[in-house]
Amino acid sequence: MSGTVGAPVSRIEGLSKVTGEARYAADFPLAGLAHGWIVQSTIARGRVESVDAGAALQMPGVLAVVTATNAMRLQDVDDGELLVLQDQQVHYRGQTVALVVGDTLEQARAAADGLPVEYQAEPHDVLLSASHPRLFAPDHVNPNLPTDTLTGDVEAGLAGAAVTVDHTYSTPAEHNNPMEPHATTAFWDGDRLTVYDSNQGATRVHQALVRLFGLEDSAVRVVSEHVGGGFGSKGGARSQAVLAAMAARMLGRPIRVVLSRKQLFSLVGYRTPTIQRVRLGSDRGGRLVALDHQVVEQTSTVYEFAEQTAVFSRVMYATPNLSTSHRLVALDVPTPRWMRAPGEAPGSFAVESAMDELAEACGVDPIELRIRNEPVTEPEGGRPFSSRNLIACLREGASRFRWAERDPRPGTRRDGQWLMGTGVAASTYPARSAPSTASVSAQEDGSFIVRLTAADIGTGARTALTQVAADELQVPMDKVEVRIGDSDFGPAMIAGGSMGMASWGWVVVKACRQLIADIDRCGGVPDDGLVARADTADDIAAQADLVRHSFGAQFAEVRVDVDTGEIRVPRLLGVFAAGRIVNAKTARSQLIGGMTMGLSMALFEESLMDAEFGDYLNHDFAGYHIAANADVQRIDATWIDEEDDQLNPLGVKGIGEIGIVGTAAAIANAVYHATGQRQRHLPIRPDRVLSP
Amino acid sequence: MTDPYSLTVNGTDHQVVDAWLGESLLYVLRERLGLPGSKAGCEQGECGSCSVIVDGSLECACLILAAAAVGCDITTVEGLQPGRGDFTTVQEAFIAEGAVQCGFCTPGLVVALTDLLARVPHPSDLEVREAISGNLCRCTGYGRILAAAQAAAKAASDE
Amino acid sequence: MTILSPTSIDEAVAALADPAIQVLAGGTDFMVEVNAGHRRPDKVLSLRHIPELRTWEQLPARDDPAHVRLGATVTYTDMLQPDLAQLLPALAHAARTVGSPQIRNAGTIGGNLATASPAGDTLPVLAALEAVVEVASPLGVRDIPVATFITGPKRTALSPGELIVAVRLPLLDGHQEFRKIGVRNAMVIAVASLALAVDTRTRTVRCALGSVGPGPIRATEAEEWLAGTIDWDRPAATTEAPDLAYFGRLVAGAAQPIDDHRGTAAYRRHAIGVLAERAAAQAFGAGSAA
Repeated sequence: MSGTVGAPVSRIEGLSKVTGEARYAADFPLAGLAHGWIVQSTIARGRVESVDAGAALQMPGVLAVVTATNAMRLQDVDDGELLVLQDQQVHYRGQTVALVVGDTLEQARAAADGLPVEYQAEPHDVLLSASHPRLFAPDHVNPNLPTDTLTGDVEAGLAGAAVTVDHTYSTPAEHNNPMEPHATTAFWDGDRLTVYDSNQGATRVHQALVRLFGLEDSAVRVVSEHVGGGFGSKGGARSQAVLAAMAARMLGRPIRVVLSRKQLFSLVGYRTPTIQRVRLGSDRGGRLVALDHQVVEQTSTVYEFAEQTAVFSRVMYATPNLSTSHRLVALDVPTPRWMRAPGEAPGSFAVESAMDELAEACGVDPIELRIRNEPVTEPEGGRPFSSRNLIACLREGASRFRWAERDPRPGTRRDGQWLMGTGVAASTYPARSAPSTASVSAQEDGSFIVRLTAADIGTGARTALTQVAADELQVPMDKVEVRIGDSDFGPAMIAGGSMGMASWGWVVVKACRQLIADIDRCGGVPDDGLVARADTADDIAAQADLVRHSFGAQFAEVRVDVDTGEIRVPRLLGVFAAGRIVNAKTARSQLIGGMTMGLSMALFEESLMDAEFGDYLNHDFAGYHIAANADVQRIDATWIDEEDDQLNPLGVKGIGEIGIVGTAAAIANAVYHATGQRQRHLPIRPDRVLSP
Repeated sequence: MTDPYSLTVNGTDHQVVDAWLGESLLYVLRERLGLPGSKAGCEQGECGSCSVIVDGSLECACLILAAAAVGCDITTVEGLQPGRGDFTTVQEAFIAEGAVQCGFCTPGLVVALTDLLARVPHPSDLEVREAISGNLCRCTGYGRILAAAQAAAKAASDE
Repeated sequence: MTILSPTSIDEAVAALADPAIQVLAGGTDFMVEVNAGHRRPDKVLSLRHIPELRTWEQLPARDDPAHVRLGATVTYTDMLQPDLAQLLPALAHAARTVGSPQIRNAGTIGGNLATASPAGDTLPVLAALEAVVEVASPLGVRDIPVATFITGPKRTALSPGELIVAVRLPLLDGHQEFRKIGVRNAMVIAVASLALAVDTRTRTVRCALGSVGPGPIRATEAEEWLAGTIDWDRPAATTEAPDLAYFGRLVAGAAQPIDDHRGTAAYRRHAIGVLAERAAAQAFGAGSAA
């Protein structure tokens, strides 16, 4: 039987999504359901002195006002964002200070809007700067990487370099903004808690609720069948799940807590703003002799989140002298979290822009510059790569994009009011796997059911895993049902870090192979069926110590209005080397989606901190722009065939993040090529184009 | 509480009782009428996830005061299907062309393109882009959605 | 709590005798405020079911000067229909840049006036055309020129108990257009916008600016300079082109922009000058339309 892996299979749950039948976390009808509405602090630092619930409780339909004085006590966990309503401290503007519960959502909101909350305010500190007096070096950066690295002598390297580039780049706070706001519907059946929750992995939410409420694993079930996107913001439990579970326990009724778009801007995370100094030194031919990447970024006072922005520099280019560093400041702001390609997305903007500046300074073509600096082994640490096909991506892209016809001189192509230019940047993202469990059961009718706590947040995981299982079991896809998004199926990796398919595919392959062996041993499927379970923890621990990364090349063409600074992007091309592609249809769309988010990052996305109030002021879709279809013209993503047997049994590297890495730099480099003005700060707004 | 009123949704009259006057059509559809196919993405008319057709006009359900829609003919995504398990050419094209990812924006897009094809059977690329200019998608980058719209238009004209 | 959905203007005006009643037209601003918890209506007057407010008419030529009278709930989509768009091209341009099909189907000209947002897309057009707002109350109907109707950001001359029932716009003979700059290509709030209208009969140029001040701003000095520079008796293509860059500078000088998250004041002033120069080039430059 020919395999389905690699084929452009249509999405299995497509019908339920196009008809509106698919149920998301806020869609489940439950008898007796009540609704919680979050009341947020209006100061950025201080204490809640009092919450006067008297009038609210007299309003029609209002069932409870949960505050720090009457909230259920939670067990301590290491994430202060989850310890909601446990004390009176206010750590940032927008923090939850009460939950009003009503028979209807409108009744809860009406009471919440007028709820009198008295504060003792203290002066707040919400602005990131490279000279902030409270900068510190965290113990490590995410996920558990060294804060600083040093190979060789960077200062000596720079001092002796024939050509140097030394610039500071910045990226703003950006908010994930999945289309589905975070939501949880929770109910208790005796001492067993069930939540319908919008997340990127039910296992993490399950673990958090088990710990917070001091329950047995078996007493909590998290169900997340359909999830309306996450992009990192749903990577772990968020406080609405805790509040819904808490209120449901206190009131003995099912409770739903849904966040508004505005609430997402303070309660579920965002990408930290970054200030990045990049220093490059090279010979006249552009061969690097030194690379220094210094990052300043923020965290909150509730939870230390240290984005790994400079790790991009640790894998990209060969240089004898290489240093990277991260410094944080804990501000009175909401906690930054993962956002698509945490680390690599902002880090690549700085380094790939700097590489373009170096190419210009050396008079070397930017693609040739990258080829000249291709390392044999990992630049920081010296480990071998499992596979590295950056140059193949650059060359394939150059051919498709007709790069050879490019005139390198900036600011020389004009079509009426439009200046035109093209740019290139490289991208990379780690290809990791994490331990997961799964079961596969053979039914007596010849069909199979796969169960694992995977999440399909729009990636197509449900469909791709069905393809994988069908191929392993050597049956057509319609004989396999893959059930996901239910913590009762056992622990599994989240849909995050581009690790979903690698982790889940691995355990599904393992479980299927186990089942086939069991069937062979039994001489067939017994009347009562057969179940095989698998766990990949040992397999992953036994992997060789290699650097596993996907790579890619991003090409952009821009048109810049010479008078107004408006930018159009008529063409984007991404070429990726990401191991094996399981589903060509869902993969292409996901890569293009990542590139589109990169375009959005380059031109539009920017959460603006109001220093006086300590709040992100453009906290809705009218103020925070994400790319609309009119902003997107020709975007194509393609990949080169890459076989890598050092990854996982499927040979996949993951494609969730790499599409966004490097896109903003490619666009910024194209804007330079069009205008002759370097853009070192995102987003590239029209006013910055005219006065950078 | 307002006086009870009746809304005509997908050809069926629904009584709305004990509602607050300020409730949007989106809220009433989702919370009172058991029709959660229309999604709440922004509640300010910016994302299009709650698009519905009211008296032949595409609108955001979040920007319609439900009590003001009495007497209007309202169609939601749930009302497009010819029958359970069946689907329209627009819906079929969305699946076949890979225009669906997380699916949260999908109902609004399907309604918007259904409205377009009802008015303009053979839309140009520009007309398709214009028709969905108010529908935000964070997953797909829009390419497959535009392809689905053209495929649906072609399928409709081939029938 | 009540909602009134009258079917005639007279009924609607009578309902406004209740000072607590809130007027709902297309809902595109009203419902955003309700959904955000900033407005909690107890009594609503819905204009959705008043057919006469949704109509427009071209008044007879003997009614000099000829004009178009738009009912208050004429939508942006209505303004784009060819028969109306050809009479009021700048208004159609402005309507096309509004939001999305969903917003254009719901939003109304009366609503745009009543909200009086500095970024209201039709307002520069109404200001340039010197539109007149017809306002009804139990005392009768009064006319308010749009220049005095908008008194500041989100403030109007509308008194309690008054309802916008129509807007009258003169029919001009000459080129007119609307231009807008926003960050994104669709669904965008203007960073700067401009309406330009030429009237060859009166030999005047009208130019109004949006998003660069508390309300729409007429660039009168620039208008007069341009009208005085043009040779109205000869086709533009045969005469020496006027110094349109100077016109742009005069228009930029009329702007009163502020810094906000959508753009700096300096950028807005620069951008409005660019829009003015381009609009004037379209009207009076070589190969121009006028």
